Amino acid sequence: MSSVVVIAPLTGLIVALSEVPDPVFAQRLVGPGLAIAPAQQRQTVLSPIDGRLLKLKPHAFIVAEGRTAVLVHLGIDTVLLDGAASTLLAVEKQVVRAGEPIMYWDPALVAGAGLSAICPVVALDAPPDAVANLAHGEVLAGAELFTWRERIYG
Amino acid sequence: MAERRVVVTSAVGLHARPAAVFVTAVAKAGLPVTLTRHDGRTADARSILAVVTLDVKCGDEVLLRAEGDGADAALDGLAELLANG
Repeated sequence: MSSVVVIAPLTGLIVALSEVPDPVFAQRLVGPGLAIAPAQQRQTVLSPIDGRLLKLKPHAFIVAEGRTAVLVHLGIDTVLLDGAASTLLAVEKQVVRAGEPIMYWDPALVAGAGLSAICPVVALDAPPDAVANLAHGEVLAGAELFTWRERIYG
Repeated sequence: MAERRVVVTSAVGLHARPAAVFVTAVAKAGLPVTLTRHDGRTADARSILAVVTLDVKCGDEVLLRAEGDGADAALDGLAELLANG
């Protein structure tokens, strides 16, 4: 049995997934986790765990190691921005460490486009009780966000 | 073995949110279902990670397969979901 500490990919205010203005995330269909209402400044977005950058898009990325995979979704419906708020610093398939920069991202541009900049950080393919030690309040990029108690579930 | 071919219509392809809706529907069906791309790559349709990694785009045709009681009805529902993304 082991667990993985998931760190905050960016700085902001932690909110429950149920507060995310998208029912698929709010109902935790994507998985359990937290969301971060980002501080309104251009931010360096960090990898939440050690692993491989399995998918990298300007609006979302997945870092995975074995069966532990974390999705970071940068804002809601931000696929529509076609990358305008992001400058990538990493490449897909790259091996990254927790805390390694993935991209620059500007939540003010997202809000300016009339979209929600809230960022779900979600454990994929995990049962609801797989996440523990959920942080709350203000969080700085790189600080502990939650723990994934993964291998209990094989 | 039941099979359905369907063209995915979700504008963003089978990425996080549409994949989550699809995988949830697969879980509700209670059957092992696989999703195969035109190039033969196949994913366990019960796993969001596996489905997202398959990188299915809008307009791609995919093959759904399932076995067991109710497989035909389950695939009808899943195919409709993908076709009306």
